[in-house]
This record gives sequence, C-alpha cells and structure tokens, in this order.
Amino acid sequence: MIKAAIVGCGKMADQHAVQIQKIGSAKMVAVCDAEPLMAKQIAERFHVPAWFTNVDEMLAAARPDVVHVTTPPQSHLAIGKKCFEAGASAYIEKPFTLNTADAEELVDVANCKGVKLTAGHNAQFTHAMNQMRRLTSDGFLGERIVHMESLYCYELGDPAYAKALLGDSDHWVRNLPGSLLQNIISHGVARIAEFMTGDRIVVQATGFSSPFLQKIGQSDIIDELRLIIRDENATTAVFTFSSQISPSLHQFRLYGPKGSLVIDDDHQVVLHLDNKEYKSYLRFFVPPLVFARQYVGNLARNVGRFVRNDFHLPNESGLLTLIRSFYQSVEHAAPLPIPYREILLTSRIMDAAFEQINALKQEKPMQTLGLETKSSGGNRYRSLS
Amino acid sequence: MNHAYLEERDGEPVLASGPAESAVGFAVQADRTKLIAGSEDQILVTGANGFIGSWVVRTLLARGFTKIRCLTRGTSTPANLDRIRAEFGASGVEVVSGNLLSRDVCAKVMDGVVIVYHLAAGVEKTFPGCFLNSAVTTRNLLDAVTSAGNVRRFVNISSLAVYSNAQLRSGGALDETCPIDTRLVERYDPYAYGKAKQDEIVREYGRLRGLPYVIARPGVTFGPGKAKIPGRVGIDAFGVFLHLGLGNRMPLTYVENCAEAIVLAGLTAGINGEEFNIVDDDLPRSRTFLRRYKRKVRRIRTIPVPYSLFYLFNFAWEKYSAWSGAQLPPVFNRGTCEAYYKSQTFSNQKAKSLLGWHPRVSMSEALDRFCAYARERVVKA
Repeated sequence: MIKAAIVGCGKMADQHAVQIQKIGSAKMVAVCDAEPLMAKQIAERFHVPAWFTNVDEMLAAARPDVVHVTTPPQSHLAIGKKCFEAGASAYIEKPFTLNTADAEELVDVANCKGVKLTAGHNAQFTHAMNQMRRLTSDGFLGERIVHMESLYCYELGDPAYAKALLGDSDHWVRNLPGSLLQNIISHGVARIAEFMTGDRIVVQATGFSSPFLQKIGQSDIIDELRLIIRDENATTAVFTFSSQISPSLHQFRLYGPKGSLVIDDDHQVVLHLDNKEYKSYLRFFVPPLVFARQYVGNLARNVGRFVRNDFHLPNESGLLTLIRSFYQSVEHAAPLPIPYREILLTSRIMDAAFEQINALKQEKPMQTLGLETKSSGGNRYRSLS
Repeated sequence: MNHAYLEERDGEPVLASGPAESAVGFAVQADRTKLIAGSEDQILVTGANGFIGSWVVRTLLARGFTKIRCLTRGTSTPANLDRIRAEFGASGVEVVSGNLLSRDVCAKVMDGVVIVYHLAAGVEKTFPGCFLNSAVTTRNLLDAVTSAGNVRRFVNISSLAVYSNAQLRSGGALDETCPIDTRLVERYDPYAYGKAKQDEIVREYGRLRGLPYVIARPGVTFGPGKAKIPGRVGIDAFGVFLHLGLGNRMPLTYVENCAEAIVLAGLTAGINGEEFNIVDDDLPRSRTFLRRYKRKVRRIRTIPVPYSLFYLFNFAWEKYSAWSGAQLPPVFNRGTCEAYYKSQTFSNQKAKSLLGWHPRVSMSEALDRFCAYARERVVKA
C-alpha cells in the first residue's frame, strides 16, 4: 500500500486527490499547505486523516512513500529535496523547476537517496498519446523519426485564468523565468523531448506578445512562441504555442520514413498517414475513404472506452495513468513512466527558449501589432551540449 | 460618547446625534430609527464593481455618504464604478484595486473604516478556488477588521444557496430557521461551499473576538446588468431551454432592492449577530417569469420538465458518476436538484422586521426593467 501525501492544497491538489482515491493500492495519509484553511478544507473533503502547515512536520509524522508536490514551482526544489531526504519519492507538478540546474539537482538528490521522482507531464499519457506510443514502438513510422510538430494552444480568454494572472502583477506565474510560457508549454515540449534521440540539441526561438495582450496593456507577457529544434542525429521538431488560434488546438505530428502519425489530443483521435500511392484520380477518392474509416475507428474506440468506464477526460485519465505507473515504479521497481533524461531535456529546451525570447524582449520592445520586427538575423540559436 | 448619525425621517436620511453603537463586541437593542454610521464615516465595500456591489455603492451615495472606499479586483476595469463616479462625482468614491489574499491589502483598505460591506466572493468552478476566494479572503479581511478595532458592523454577504431544504416538504417555507447544508461537497456546489465556510468563519470571529456582524443572504439577484435567465428557471441544453422551475416561486430580489437591504444591514442599530434572507415581495412563479421573458425579450424553444422526472435523471446521473469514478462528474445530483428545483416558499419577514426594509421597486416594474435590458442585449448581439 502506497502512503501518499500532497503538499500545496490548491486546484491541482484536488485533481491529484481525486485520482489517488481511484488507486486501490494507495491511500492519502496527509496534506500540507502553508495556509491552514486550505490544508484543512482538502483534508475534510477527501477524508484525509492529517493536515499540516509545515512540510518537515508532515514528513516526520506521516512518513509518506510518495509526496505530490503541487505548490508553485518556485518551491519545488526545496520541497522536493526535503521529501527525498526523508526517504519519500516525489511527483512534482509542472513546471518541474525554475531551470535545468534545479532539475538536475533534484534528479541527483533523488538518485543519491535511492528514491524516485516524476514530473507532472500527464498530457503524455492520454489515450491518444498512449496509442501513438504503441504504434511508434511497433515500427509504424520506420526505423527513426525524421520530424515532429507539436502544436499547443492556450485560451487566454478563459476568465478564471485571465482574472488570476492578468489581474495580479505579483502572480507567481509572472515571476517565472519564462513567465506564462513556462507554466504552460512543458506538456507540448515534453512530447518532442521524448523522441529526440541526441543530446546535442539546437533550439531557435522567437516569441512575442499577441495583439490581444498588447491591446489590454499586458505586453510584458509573451504568449506567442515558435521553436525550431534539431539534434545531432538530424531529428528535427517545430513547436508552436499560441493563445490566439481558435479553436485552441493540441496536436502532435510524427513523421517517419515509412509512415506518419497525427495525434489530435483534443478529440482523442489518432490518424495514420500511410505510405501508399494511388494511381490517377484514385488518389483523390480512396484516401478520403481511408481517413473516414479511421475516424469511425477512433469513434468506436472512444465510445468503447467510455462504455467500459475507461475513458474519462483526457487530462484526468493521463493523470491517473501517470500516478499509477509512478506508484508501480516506486513499489515494484518497475521502470519510471518518464525517464529522467526526458524531464531534463524538456527543461533544457525550455531554458533555451526563455533565454532567447527574454534577450529579444530586452533588446527591442514589441511593436504595436505585436510582431517582432527584427530580421531573421535577430533570432538566436543556442546549442545545448 | 455621542456620534453624529443618520436618522430616517419620512424615508429620507437626516443627520442627528446621540449615543452610537460602539465598536467590536458591543451590542445594543435593535432600534431601526437610529443608524450606526454618519455620512462622514468611512465605509468599505469589497466587490464594489460587481453586480450587487456597485448598487450598494450607489445606494450609499444616494443616502449621503461621502467616504466610500471601493475595493475591486485588479482584473476588472471598474466600469460600473466609473459610471457611478461620473453620475455622483468622484469625491465620495475612493477606488482601491487589490486582492484580499494579500494581508497588506486588507490592512490598507481597513484604515479608518467603521462599516464593512463584504461582497467580494469566489465564483469559480472548483472547490479550492471558491474556498480560497471566499473563506480565506474573508479570514484575512476579518483579521484586519479586528486589528483595526473601530469597526461597528461587518456585513457578510452570503447566499440562499447555503441552506438545506432536504427536510422541507414540497411547498414548505425556506427561511432563516432552515439548517445550513452540510452536504455541499456531495451537492457538487463549490460556490455554496465557499459561502458556507465563509459564514462559519464570520460566526467564529463573532463568537471568539466579538466581531459585530450580520449575515445577509440574497436570493437570486436580477436586474439590468445581468441578461441571463436565472438558473432556477431552467437550463439551456444544446439550444433547447429545459424549463425546470415550472410552477415554483422564484426567490428573486431586484438588485436595487437587494442593495437597499444590504446597506440597511450595515447601518441599522442593534442587529449584531443576525442572519437574514433577502427576497422581494410578490415573488413570481417560474413559468410567469419565462412567459414574460418570451414575450418581451425573445422567443426561445422551451421544454417543460416535471420535477419528478428531473429528480430521477439526477438520481441516475449521480449513481452513474459514483459507479464510474466520475467519468461524468456529479454535476447533476439529488442534492442540487432539491436545493434549486424543489418547490418552496420564501419569506422576507425577518429582513423587513429587522431593517425596516421594503422593496421600493415592485416586482412587476423590476421584471419590466430586466426584460428591457435583456432585450437590449439581444438586439445588440
């Protein structure tokens, strides 16, 4: 039986608590928040036997096996280390840490203490992403991945988030090195990091404040980001983050020499782009039928899962899969659901992106249309080796 | 100690002087003819730019108050307050932008304040979000109130949604004697949960620290500024309006009338520790409301849904949600169905008796004003 605890009793903590309760081999033994009212309310609602306002006291008294750290990222390093020192493994919500140096330190301490950690990249484990992983490991794409495209959008018009972030100049998200981007893009970047085989990664970034943010006087926040990523094995990727694209899309495309895949995470749809040629006009008639059949197949798969009570909303099912896999790794020495290399690579790509766009921001203020007017020579290249 | 205070004569505020109710912890006999704050006293209104809050500010100004500090969340452009300042002049209205999660903000806004109208609330979809922005913010503000030491009344705005009507028969009276619902989590009602916890904290400060408070629970507040059909009438389901209220009385309160009651709750002497509901007179039935809406605002397709059928649907949804591990979250459940769609009657006798309040705008006139506004919005859209 895994004894789980949660540190940081805000909105994310609720999502974790709901999923932990679904795991029969786990029980919540404690929650902790610097604000006693917040700790108490979650303990009451989820019938957790103990609540604390001090992490050290919680670790000493409750002796959890796994601690879910759902505090703002500024505290992840310190809290993570406390957990490891106390012999507990840790699920650390995204954004994992403030920077790669902190991420590396966490991994080092966890290794040193013989405990495990994972990052809150639950979007990696939606049904569609799991299916993509199965197809990829079955060799659908061919012997290697040539290119990837990760599109990750965010609806900044969401009143709750806009209220919290845009209305509060001291909001913790604004104080992150990558500000809004750092809090959101890790899901989309982690998808790329999973399939980058090399260690010498080159990142080219450009970013700007959208016309929407400029209009409401929030031009200090960058909400449009484009990345071009390449490793020494000639695997390339393009990452797009936008708050202005409608509908707000979350898609991932993998291109290989044998075939390609399109993952539409919003609708839990996976499409195969088969390497088949049709003669003459058949190329305009047969492939649409093939796609139609694939869409029907996706529909049947989703409905089937729903009927079997195995669908749930993608982020929730991803969170449950990740937590369950992590617990198995902790309890039964199974492989980690997210290798440390992938966590660190995600962090390194993000660091490189933030470094470049922050430098651009300081060099030249954004123009009124929100477009970065610098020529292509203004884009930075950073080699990560 | 004598204080200048406002006395109502022939419905108009008149400055008078005499012994005033003291600060924290001192209660006197109810006396509706005396008001515990004078026109020069500092008033604080939190959530002042909101739907009800802005009408509270307007009502205070109309009553001659000249020092009204309005706290707004930094997120919103204080459009309502801007209009009020344009209408009444800017001198009496001090707009402060800040978040009650900051204790510094709480301490700052409490400087010199004698009456607090606390309308700011967490209106979110999650339990922690509502709790944080209702209960934690209120605790922060109350700490500042008790530190300031000169507050004569803390008016806590709660909601009719916190009551349980589970033990009431259909058609029974939902009033201040009804218990607070202890199953708000099972009801999946984060807003009501946040409000109930906020009330608990206020009562605790009253008990342990002598906070002079009243708790006001408005019903469904409506009026120009809110064009949507209240949820107690029914819900929009994929373009078809499911009429759930049918013959139920709607616990409506017109925003102007509601604001008047709230203002009096802060000023009336001798009512510390009281809790009362605010609904108007002549409450219409749901079908009357909907009929008028269709006639005066726009035609909409509606399907009447009997309570028993909707209850059955909620029962089935609730059971499926529990069985499936919330594959469908329990947004529909028997508790919510009962709380919002069981036929009840509502009383405003306590508010009238304590405050000497009477809704100035008749229900018919209020409905006409609402419909005119909603129609305007439809035309604009």
